[in-house]
Amino acid sequence: MKRFLGMILSVCILLGLAAAPAFAQEVTEIQFWTWRPEDVDFYNKTIAAFEAANPDVKVVQNAIKNTEYNTILSAALAAGDGAPDVFMSRAYGGLQTFADSGYMLALDELMPELADFSDATRRGATSITDGKIYGVPAVSQTMLCYYNKDVYEELGLSIPKTWDEFLQNLEACKAAGYEALANGTKEGWCCEFLFGGVGPSFYGGNDFFDKVVAGETTFVDPIFVDAVQKIKDLTPYMPSMYEGVAYTDMQASFINELSAHFVGGSYEAGYFGSENPDLNFDIFAVPGEKAENPAYVSVYADMNFSIAASSKKQEAALKFLRFLATKEFGESMVNELKMVSSVPGVDVSANPFIARVLELQANNTPYLFLVGFRYEQPTGSSLFQAEAQSLMVGDKTAQEICQSVQDGIASYYAPFQK
Amino acid sequence: MAKGWKKAGWITFFVLPGALIVFVFILLPLFMSLFNSFFQWNQLIRGEFAGLENFKRLFTGYPYQQRFMNALGNNLKWFAMTMLIQNALGILLGYALSRGIAGSGFYRRVFFIPVLFSIIAVGFLWGLYLRPNGMVNSLLGALGREEWKRAWLGDGSIATYTIIIVNIWRWVGFPTLVFMTAIDNVPQECTEAAYLDGVNEWQMFSKITLPLIVPSITIITVLTIIGSLNVFEQVYTMAGLDGPPNYATDTIGTLFYRTAFGSVDSGAPEIGIGSAIAVVIYLLTFFVSLGSITFTSSKEVEL
Amino acid sequence: MMTGMRLRHASPSKKAFILVMQLVMALYVFLIVYPLFNMVMSSFKPTRAIMQTPFSLPQAFDFSNYATIWVDKGFGRYFLNSLLFTAGAMVFVVLFGSMAAFGIARYTFKGSNLLYMLFLSGIMLPLKAAVIPLFQIVRSLGLMDSPFSVIFIFIAMGLPSTVFILAGFMRTIPLALEQAARIDGCSDLRIYSQIIMPVAAPSVALVVIYNAVPIWNDFFFPLVFIQSDKLKTLPVGLSSFIGQHNTKWDLLFTGLSIAIVPMLILYLFMSKYFIKGMTAGAVK
Repeated sequence: MKRFLGMILSVCILLGLAAAPAFAQEVTEIQFWTWRPEDVDFYNKTIAAFEAANPDVKVVQNAIKNTEYNTILSAALAAGDGAPDVFMSRAYGGLQTFADSGYMLALDELMPELADFSDATRRGATSITDGKIYGVPAVSQTMLCYYNKDVYEELGLSIPKTWDEFLQNLEACKAAGYEALANGTKEGWCCEFLFGGVGPSFYGGNDFFDKVVAGETTFVDPIFVDAVQKIKDLTPYMPSMYEGVAYTDMQASFINELSAHFVGGSYEAGYFGSENPDLNFDIFAVPGEKAENPAYVSVYADMNFSIAASSKKQEAALKFLRFLATKEFGESMVNELKMVSSVPGVDVSANPFIARVLELQANNTPYLFLVGFRYEQPTGSSLFQAEAQSLMVGDKTAQEICQSVQDGIASYYAPFQK
Repeated sequence: MAKGWKKAGWITFFVLPGALIVFVFILLPLFMSLFNSFFQWNQLIRGEFAGLENFKRLFTGYPYQQRFMNALGNNLKWFAMTMLIQNALGILLGYALSRGIAGSGFYRRVFFIPVLFSIIAVGFLWGLYLRPNGMVNSLLGALGREEWKRAWLGDGSIATYTIIIVNIWRWVGFPTLVFMTAIDNVPQECTEAAYLDGVNEWQMFSKITLPLIVPSITIITVLTIIGSLNVFEQVYTMAGLDGPPNYATDTIGTLFYRTAFGSVDSGAPEIGIGSAIAVVIYLLTFFVSLGSITFTSSKEVEL
Repeated sequence: MMTGMRLRHASPSKKAFILVMQLVMALYVFLIVYPLFNMVMSSFKPTRAIMQTPFSLPQAFDFSNYATIWVDKGFGRYFLNSLLFTAGAMVFVVLFGSMAAFGIARYTFKGSNLLYMLFLSGIMLPLKAAVIPLFQIVRSLGLMDSPFSVIFIFIAMGLPSTVFILAGFMRTIPLALEQAARIDGCSDLRIYSQIIMPVAAPSVALVVIYNAVPIWNDFFFPLVFIQSDKLKTLPVGLSSFIGQHNTKWDLLFTGLSIAIVPMLILYLFMSKYFIKGMTAGAVK
């Protein structure tokens, strides 16, 4: 058995030796991993553009199913080789896991251009342990409300400026036989992004965020409890038995024009448009109580590009990473993937949707639990997601779930333990 | 003595190739990762030896204790429902097929088909049938039973049972075929003699067939124990890694996976605690299976 | 024996039992056929229609999805790889598995129960749990990105339940059969291959289909250990249609409809061993 394996091994080595002289022109081949199987063609184009400008580097893309990506990446990085040179990395807590494990290269000194990226986008790529940047921020996502423009026109509605107007619009859509709001709560993370779209205008965006992160207030603060109650107040406008409505059902319902609103992330736009090119939709930020309150949108950095610390081809990897930090790449992200690129100064004029997202970002606030509380277990996200499901079906009150979230985070979060 | 060596040689010859592969590719890596439960972890890097600290946190610390007991409770539901519905049905169907019920040739060629489906297809199609405006609720509506409509996969009080029923749909063909094969193997002399004695069908089943197929009952019981304590895929595809809603469908398998590897949508990995959960699953499965094998083999009848 | 489940001459309670069983089985057949039909029909529909009207018939039987998958996405290659990997693994699962089961079930020796439990241990935890050490082992054997990595893992995955089920069945084979052969001077190898295996054929058929399906459908281990496109398997190809926020259900269903065919054929082929006549013939 062992001898058999040994034989295979030596055959492989021999083949490798025989093949080596054929590629004598010093082309460095680097491995690039992504969790976006849906964007394989896009990255192939990107790689072609990069290779045209850098004939000495060859990039091999490997797209791995999103849900298995972290597992496979950690196995490969732990083993040392078989690992990628450049890889997509998660932001915030997800980045922390790999940064603390020493699997990523700090980029502060290698890439001075990162200083031009906005603080908010860099935050997703920065380790909270040592303050260093471990990735090139790629895109940011914004939580907002999609609406069907044709339905609005048909019913003579306009973009709501207050919460009451928003509820009136929902009521009008419901009365006209539409599903007013597509959102369901079968998956916990759908509750979190619903709150990300609705909550901040009520808890007051950055003010509250900064205070709660510093431990100067808590999640049982009445203004926060009230904000949480708002997503419960939307249930009359959600599909019947919304607790069984899954994410794909919500998407389908909005795409097929059965529902008039969809609270969700800016990343949906590309899919909405490609599935139903006739879908006439636009977006707004869910308003607060009064028209003069700023209508906030929750924003977070979604993905970074990083270099593996174990990579033996860091020079070539860095070249590729530099390319992924250029405006050229940022613009192709905007135009082809309809994603909000994090690269500073990218021209979005060709894409009105992205331009509109950036407009709404005038009142942006960090996506609360992801940005602030996803670094330790139980994470704010896991607590809120599970508890919010109980809130939505009426098993618990907003006060009760806020208390659970507070207690859960306080079990490890030092500023809450004072 | 030579005879003893010869026998040992044959045993080695038969067992070794399989044992070697299982050892290198399953037991070795499995024990290596179970070993991780005795260490502290800084993210993905192994730290100092921690003794039983991870187990202590799992059984007494927040939130692991609550999550673990809740998940284990659901595993018990899986076991009870699978034994009571799937395996009982399997024995009845297997008996009927073996006794040549009309159409048995056709049924034998159909009942295993659900197992052939990829879990992705099972999850998606049953998701369509069971969603609020799906086929099951439409059917209930058509039958005038509006009040029976449910969010089958979203209602915490029934979601676990719904997933178990779908799993039974998928797997009932397996015990059916195992029992059928076992009953087919019961020597004809036994059944014919019984017929001549004028026993009725129920006596035939309970007095003759059942005692003779105890070994296959052992097989199915042990596989059910292992399957119920390892439930993962079914919950993962039909509900999600976090066992929604609010952990109502969580099992120790999903709890293990998201603790050891992290969940993309909600949290970071904790390998130490995750490995401790794996150790508990392993020991639990091992001893319950061993107990069940010992118990049922005492009931075996030699021919 | 064929006197069993006939309505004629049956007592009223037996009649009721037969009718109930027939009802249950007919219902189950419907519950099997419909999803199968539903899956194949979906492969002729665009994603949007699958989501909007999942139960309607396709507008037209347009095979363009099949062409896209088979040609543009290179599934012909993946399909072939899957066939080779699964067949390669299954040959050894059955061979080594039945040998080990024979060794454990037909000899009495100290530690046979321990060995039995050790084999069974292999399915007491998902192997996914051990992916990090497994990765290191595969790497140190020099098997990264080699078909052998996946084939060995598949063999190892199939062996525990094979040994467990076959040993269970082999234990029930009367000893007299074996003793007669020994008196005739048969070697242990011949007893295994000529006496025990033919009698165990139905359970071997069962084990083949029971293990071939998860191996055929597994995408995780090929995803971990295979990187070259030319070595990828069908389920890995299918996983590429499942994106982070959207899934190409049309292509996925097309792929799933293709993927189930070899398993259906295998099952139909194996099910002939479940038919009583064959077994009865084997037990002389």
